Order: sequence, then C-alpha cells, then structure tokens
Amino acid sequence: MLKAMLIKEFILIMRDKHALAALFIMPSIFILIMSMALKDTFGNDHALLNYTIIDRNQTVQSEQVNTLLRVNTLFQKHDLVIKDQTELQKALNGDVHFVISIPSDFTENLGKKQLDTALLHIDVAADVKPEMVSLVKAALAGIIRQQRLQKIQNDLKIFLPDIAQKLDGFSFEAQDVLDIHYNGMKAEQVPSSTQQSVPSWIVFGMFFIIIPMSTIFINERTQNTLLRMHAMNISIPALFTGKIVPYMVINQIQVWLMIGVGIFIVPLLGAEALTLGNSIAGLVMVSTGLSLAAIGTSILIAVSVNTVEQATTIGGISNILFGAIGGIMVPKFFMPQVMQTLTNISPMSWGLEGFLDIFLRGLGAQAVIKESLALAGFGVGLLMIAWLIFSYRTKRGI
Amino acid sequence: MISIRNLVKRYDDQLALKQLNLSVEKGIIFGLLGPNGAGKTTLISILNGLTNFQEGEIEILGLPLRKNLKAIRRRSTFIPQSLALYDHLSVIENLRFFAGIQSISGETLRKNIDYAISVNRLQPLTEKKASTLSGGQKRRLNIAIGLLNNPDILYFDEPTVGIDPESRGEILETIRSFKHDNKTVIYTSHYMEEIEKICDEAAILNAGEIVRQGSLTSLLQNNNDHSAVIECIHPNREQLSKIADGHDGTELFNSNKLMVLRPNSKKMAALLADLEAKDIQLKQIRYDSINLESLFISLTSRENPDA
Repeated sequence: MLKAMLIKEFILIMRDKHALAALFIMPSIFILIMSMALKDTFGNDHALLNYTIIDRNQTVQSEQVNTLLRVNTLFQKHDLVIKDQTELQKALNGDVHFVISIPSDFTENLGKKQLDTALLHIDVAADVKPEMVSLVKAALAGIIRQQRLQKIQNDLKIFLPDIAQKLDGFSFEAQDVLDIHYNGMKAEQVPSSTQQSVPSWIVFGMFFIIIPMSTIFINERTQNTLLRMHAMNISIPALFTGKIVPYMVINQIQVWLMIGVGIFIVPLLGAEALTLGNSIAGLVMVSTGLSLAAIGTSILIAVSVNTVEQATTIGGISNILFGAIGGIMVPKFFMPQVMQTLTNISPMSWGLEGFLDIFLRGLGAQAVIKESLALAGFGVGLLMIAWLIFSYRTKRGI
Repeated sequence: MISIRNLVKRYDDQLALKQLNLSVEKGIIFGLLGPNGAGKTTLISILNGLTNFQEGEIEILGLPLRKNLKAIRRRSTFIPQSLALYDHLSVIENLRFFAGIQSISGETLRKNIDYAISVNRLQPLTEKKASTLSGGQKRRLNIAIGLLNNPDILYFDEPTVGIDPESRGEILETIRSFKHDNKTVIYTSHYMEEIEKICDEAAILNAGEIVRQGSLTSLLQNNNDHSAVIECIHPNREQLSKIADGHDGTELFNSNKLMVLRPNSKKMAALLADLEAKDIQLKQIRYDSINLESLFISLTSRENPDA
C-alpha cells in the first residue's frame, strides 16, 4: 500500500513543473542569490561603507585621520570635492554613505581637555543602518583616542622625556592588541559568509514544501480522491504516512541539493565554498526534524482550509512569518532582547541553531539532539491536530 | 444483501434520516431517487462507512456494518459523483495506484485491471494521461477504478452528471452489464429516465424518509393512470404556487410547471381560468401516462418545489 502511495506522490510531483520549481529550483537559486548578496556583509575583506573627507584643517593630524581610516577595510574612500551643502546632499544621495568634516580648529582642539564643539562632524546618508553608524563611530573614536594620546605624549616630551619615551611604539592596531578566535574553529580561521548564511536559507527552503504539498492534498480532497481512498479502507494514519515519507525524501534531496550549491556553485561566483562540518549524522538529524515540522505544518494547513488559494496564501505567509520570527531573515543577534526571546517560538529558529551547531560551531550529533527532538515533536504535534481536524471534517462531509 | 432497519442520522439538531427502513436483494440494480437534501448522499456515505449514524441497524452481505466495516468495504465499492482520480497519472497508473492501496497484487491485480479496462472499454486509452481524456472517458475510468476489487456491491452516486448522451448511454450499458455478473448496484440519479431504463427496483427518498419503495412496475401500477403538465412562460413563482395550492392534485415544479394528477375537464378548466385571471401565459399543455417523473414530483414537490 505504502509503495503505491510513494510511487503516486513522486509521479505527481515529477509531472508538476510548478511543484518541481518550488521544491528544487527555487531553493537552489535562493541559496545562490543570498550567498552572493550577503558575501560582503559577513566577509571582512570588502568595504561595507563608502565615505569622503572634507579637510578644512589641512595639517599632519588631519592627514593622519585620513591615513588611519584608509587602513580600515570596512570603509572605502571616495575622492570627492565638496564645497557646499548642495554638493554634500548630492554625495549622500549617491554612492557615499558618510562624509567626515574635519574643522579648521581640529588640531588645536585635539589637546583640549574640555571640548566646546565636537572634534569631527559626520554626515550620514539616510539609508545607513544605525549598526553601521556604530562601526564608523567606533573606528573614528579609536583614531581620535590614538591622536590625543600622541598629543599627550608630545607634551610629555617637553617636561618628562623619560616617560614620554616609554610610550613610543605603542601599537593601536586591532590585529596586534586583539586575538580573536571563532568558536569551533582553528586559530585564525574566519567563518565565511556562505557558512554563516547558507544554513538559514536551507531551513527556509525546506519549508517551501508547504505550498505544493498542501495544494496536492486539497485537490485530492476536493475531487473526493481522499474520500474514495477512505472507502477503500485506507486509514487516516496510513494516508498521512503516504504523504510524510515521500516529502521527507524530497526534503532530504532539497537539503543535499542546497548544500551542493553551497559547495560547488557558490565558489564559481566568487564567494567562499560551504564546508560540511564534522557530523553528517547531526545534519541528517536536524534536517529530519525540520522535515517533520514542515510536513506537519503543510498537512495542518491542507486539512484546515477549503481551497488551494487559501492554502497558498496561508502557507506562503506562515513560511515568511516563521522565517522572520526565527532569525532567518534578520540574524538573531541583530534583534532586540524581546525579539530574541520570541525567536524561540519558531521551529525555523530551532532548525537554524541545529544547523549552525553543525556548519559553524563544528559540533556533533549529540549537540543537536535537543533541537532535532523539538522539531520532530512540533511536527508530530501538528500532525495529531491535523488528524483530528481531518477526521472531524471527513465524518461531517465538509 | 443490504438490510436497513430504523436508521436515524442527525447532524446537530437536524434530522437527516428518520427511522429509515430499506431492503435490497442480491443481483439487482436498485435506484435511489430524491430531491437535493433528501438524504441520498448521507445514506450512501453511511453504507460505505464514511459517515456514522446514531440509531438503527445495517446489515450488508449478511454482516452487521459497524463490526465488519473493513470486510464489507473489501467486497463493495463507492463510485463518487466527482471524478475521484489523478489527472497527472495515466489510465493504467491510476488503476495500478488504486489497486496498490487496496493491497491487490500478483495475478489478481492483472486479472482485475484487465476486467476493469475491458468492461469500461478503456483498452486504447491505457497509456493516456487522465487529463487528456474526454468527460465520458474520465467517467468510465472513474467506474473502472471502482471495479478493481471485483466488488459484490457497487454504489453509484449520479455517475452520468455532465456528460454527452452517447457516453451516458455507454455508461448505463456498462452498469446494466453488472447484473449479468450477479453484482448488486445501488444507483442514485436525478434522471428519471435512467432509473426507468436500468433499475429493477427503486425507492423515493424525501426529507430523510422513504416515501415509496418497490419494483418499478409496482411503483407505477399503484398510481393513477395519467397526468397533465402545464408549462408557463416566465410566471411569477409565488402566484403559481398559490394557484397550485388552491387546486387538489396539482403540484408546482421547476418554477414554471404545474403537474395535474388525474386531470379531467372540470379540473383543467378551473385551473386554466385561474391562470388566465392572473395573466399567466402558457407555453404548452402535455398529457401523459403516469411515469416515474410524475410520480416523483407528486411525492416530493410539496416540500421541494424545485424538484
């Protein structure tokens, strides 16, 4: 019986071009696009922001600001001449994200204990996110601290030359003063944008089954094929099993297809290749749990609504909602505390944490048992509710 | 073969079947007639174990239904009105799938598929996708799927809805052939001429009750010898209903027709005078011997003016 149901389900999917596109092509393209789009955001070798400098000070100190900022690879200088407010507006409406104005009294104020006006003035384009502005602030504050210390050192040279000499050669470079180690990685190994972003999109892509799965189910119900099967002694658990097994296989194909895109296709387009992590078993555990969660959601939607249109709308929206709440679209650490807590209600968040354990943190199967069980439990729970609803609707003939 | 005693089915507060009693013998084609909402589909669903019931006893193939549902289902089949098949599968794939889920395999599978194909004349179409079949061919495939378990009882729920007369004729021929195989057929339809053509016995169901049951000959014999149908042109339905209410043995049906049982000149003159008084134009008056349609209308139209 199960064999017949599996064959039927596979034939139906293979002959439905739209379902094929939704299940295999769209997630693969999605992975590719998102990996490329986020390449610069997560990488540390490409500039995130463009800037220009208006130097009204024209001293060694103001030139030093320029020089120290050029070292920072997060920022890319655009050489523009800005004479007035109109040109400033034009620059900020164009490619420049921020403009640093160095006032004429910059050098003079650098050594002052109490400042009447700020040392530097920054104009920021309206579309720059506050967290990016924080990066600019941190970089410039570091430069100013360095310059002010240098000023103090120069003053000390006059009165206390021995002490001033001791301050010579102090390094302010991040690579000298900070040793950064990514959890689960070798020394000096840095996670790639692919490694950080692909797990999220695999989770998201797996939930793409909601629409084709619920559509096929609703068509079967409205055409009375399910009723006919019921009259042929097919019980609801058997009917659900006939759906669960093929879609679990489909989900596994999706996962490995998306991983394949990350490993083989993404590097061809200039981004770093995805690496598998240390635990294939862990990967299969998380993806199986995610599969059950996605299938449970699909069947629950399919048995609860009346039309394909309703399933498509609700399925699409729930996918996006799960993704938005689950930290797929916006990384969890970017969210405020309340939202970070809220992510725990989304199964996509559990799946993402499981995948990050494998792909990014280098952990094994044992580390993802909790997430895998939670996902499987969520899926089974939804399937039980779907069973009750379907059974009620079948008996009532609705 | 099928025995129903004091069957009661309620949907919340609504009584769908009221103390229904029915008996169907083996090897006959039994017609189940009734207007929309009469309870036909509910009764068929109950007999197939798709809907439960509150009171009464049902025995099918000598077995109580509640305790032997699975065994009974293995020997019966339900052919729904809708085309319950897969458009993306070919004819043979559909047949193999529905046989597979019933765990039919090996020689039985081959034999039963061959039987289903030949009875429904699907031989040249086996590799064709169901979506490419005509309406009539799809209906035949719908029936073929129901034959895969070689059933003793076949339940047909309006199998000829929406198809051309030629295909309808073929399907009726197929259904009639089941009688030669000693199969029992329960057949619901809105088309009275179909029932008259293929059924041995029939029951008229109205508002959850069987109002008449028996062989077709006995059903028609028990009634009056003829009737008249007056067809009006765009009448006011309310006016026409009032006129029908004011005359004995007169029923309104199809919104624009009045059926007069045992029409005589006095009765007809009074009725026509009323119609003229209300300025209702007539299209035609037809006199006929009593048939199943007029019997059906006379038994069901009081409660269901659209019947």
